[in-house]
Amino acid sequence: MTSTTSTTPLSGTGRHRTRTAPAGRTSRRRIRKDLLRSRIAAWSAVLVIGAFGMLPVYWLLATALSSPEQTFQFPPKLVPTDITFDNFTALAENEQLISYLVNSLIVASITAVLSVVVATYMGYSFSKFRYRGRRSLMHLVLASQMFPQALLLVTLYAVFSSFGLLNTYTALVLSFTTFTMPLCVWMLKGIFDTIPDALLEAASIDGASRWRTLHSVVAPLAAPGMIAAGLFAFVRGWNDFIFAVTLADKEKQTLPPGLVSTYIGEFQTAWPELMAASLVVSVPVVIAFMFLQRYLVGGMTAGSVKS
Amino acid sequence: MSTAAPPHKAAPPRTAPARRGRLGGRLSNGAFALLLTAPGLALFATIIIYPLVSALFTGFFKQDLRLPGREFVGLENFAHWLDGDFLTILEQTMVFTVGATIVPFVIGFALALALNSGLKGSGFLRGLFLFPWVIPGVVISFLWMWIFNANYGVLNGILMKAGIIEESVSWLGQPGTAMLAVIITKTWASFPWMMVMLLAGLQTVPKELHEAAAMDGAGAVRRFFAVTWPQVRGVASIVLLLEFIWNFQHFDTIYVLTGGGPAGATETFATAVYQTAFKGFDIGRATALGGLWMLLLLLLVVVYIRITERKGDAR
Repeated sequence: MTSTTSTTPLSGTGRHRTRTAPAGRTSRRRIRKDLLRSRIAAWSAVLVIGAFGMLPVYWLLATALSSPEQTFQFPPKLVPTDITFDNFTALAENEQLISYLVNSLIVASITAVLSVVVATYMGYSFSKFRYRGRRSLMHLVLASQMFPQALLLVTLYAVFSSFGLLNTYTALVLSFTTFTMPLCVWMLKGIFDTIPDALLEAASIDGASRWRTLHSVVAPLAAPGMIAAGLFAFVRGWNDFIFAVTLADKEKQTLPPGLVSTYIGEFQTAWPELMAASLVVSVPVVIAFMFLQRYLVGGMTAGSVKS
Repeated sequence: MSTAAPPHKAAPPRTAPARRGRLGGRLSNGAFALLLTAPGLALFATIIIYPLVSALFTGFFKQDLRLPGREFVGLENFAHWLDGDFLTILEQTMVFTVGATIVPFVIGFALALALNSGLKGSGFLRGLFLFPWVIPGVVISFLWMWIFNANYGVLNGILMKAGIIEESVSWLGQPGTAMLAVIITKTWASFPWMMVMLLAGLQTVPKELHEAAAMDGAGAVRRFFAVTWPQVRGVASIVLLLEFIWNFQHFDTIYVLTGGGPAGATETFATAVYQTAFKGFDIGRATALGGLWMLLLLLLVVVYIRITERKGDAR
């Protein structure tokens, strides 16, 4: 529709003129009215949904910057007058939170690396080879996104417990990797699909082994996609709640469950501090996402939606 | 990444060409390809397949999560649920799942249509609207917990100022509104994702089709059903199905916001299984309910694979 939204929509292209000629002015006027109406509808949708989408984000910011006195008054002040950064400085002084943050960084980073390595091999195999059982494996990977985590956790807890792995980074990394892998595999398969087979043939003619072809020819070409997959895995690991809250105790716990145990009190929650902490937790994800957006949207539409 | 198949895929070679080098050099191409999938499969086997299979058996035993050893009790654990709360939990899970799928779909679709109609700055708006979807799930739960707060919450504040309610409502604290609050929160978290997917689908609709239909005198509604809908139906059905499957097993938002309460009003399969195992330590009963839940989920997954398959996706 972009072509019809210019300021003089009725100047028309040649094709339009010939097509509308018999209908004359009535039809043109109708189309103009139609266009105006759809513009109004579009803007109202954007405004209403925009309010729903953005006001909570505004409130997150406003609360994080408010003093406790201002936060606990009712009805709330929609525009905070008493702005303070105390809630953020309080975070920096909370050693327990810092240790959660370090755990999050460690676990999410290892998850990202492991996911990419495993998914690269698997995605390459799915993309460039044709063999029996390939489709079933691909379906298994796809379907594994849909196994209920709450159920898996129950027996996974027992498994990790019997191996003495509860409350270790290993348990968190292994469980995170499994649910980050499916999308990583599909993203990377999509990227390998775009690398021409002729390139692999050339490498083989030059005497490169299959491993060498993968590591020295294909991997560098796929590097941007591998970084995107890694960022995605990092974000999933960073955001996870259910596995982290169950498989790790205080020493190894990551930020999301850490925030619950720190701030959600029996009687009174420290809302301004919790909102400040929430902002801090969201920042790495938002930054990662800015880099990722293009790949993620592309990966999602290629991996699961193809029409 | 485009929707069209890359040209070289038109006639894929049976195997990638490769000279037999050192490492894995004596392997056939098929064996080499399987070797590449081995690390991933090993992970799947230990972290997904084994726990799942083991869960299916555990349902027939009486077992405490904290203690080793178990006692075979046959169908007792299943009977416990089927004679008890199963239908309530199923009903509540369905209310949550349907609500948290349909509402964000309608919102996401409306927004996708608006952004696709050539608004100025729609690229920027798309990025902005993605924000709720990007921030961590736990943060989303905290934020809405605060918004819904009975004593100081901004929602009560605004509704009272507007004269819609007389006194503060305990949104999360009473059975009548808790489910609604949970659905609103989940809607906020997922409408951006649906918007992106549907927008991607809408952008494949040729503009000429719309123009031609308009020239032929079709109104906006008519054009939507005659031109737009047939083109995005595929994307829409997958988006709806995926979201349905995810919501059917959703845990975080409900657990943090209400913990399944008040008085079990937001109890779903996910929270019930979790609470039975980790608060009640009864893993026999937890996995029995999990088994029933999996049966229902399996049907959905089969439908999903059928649909992706038909799209020629799993080449």
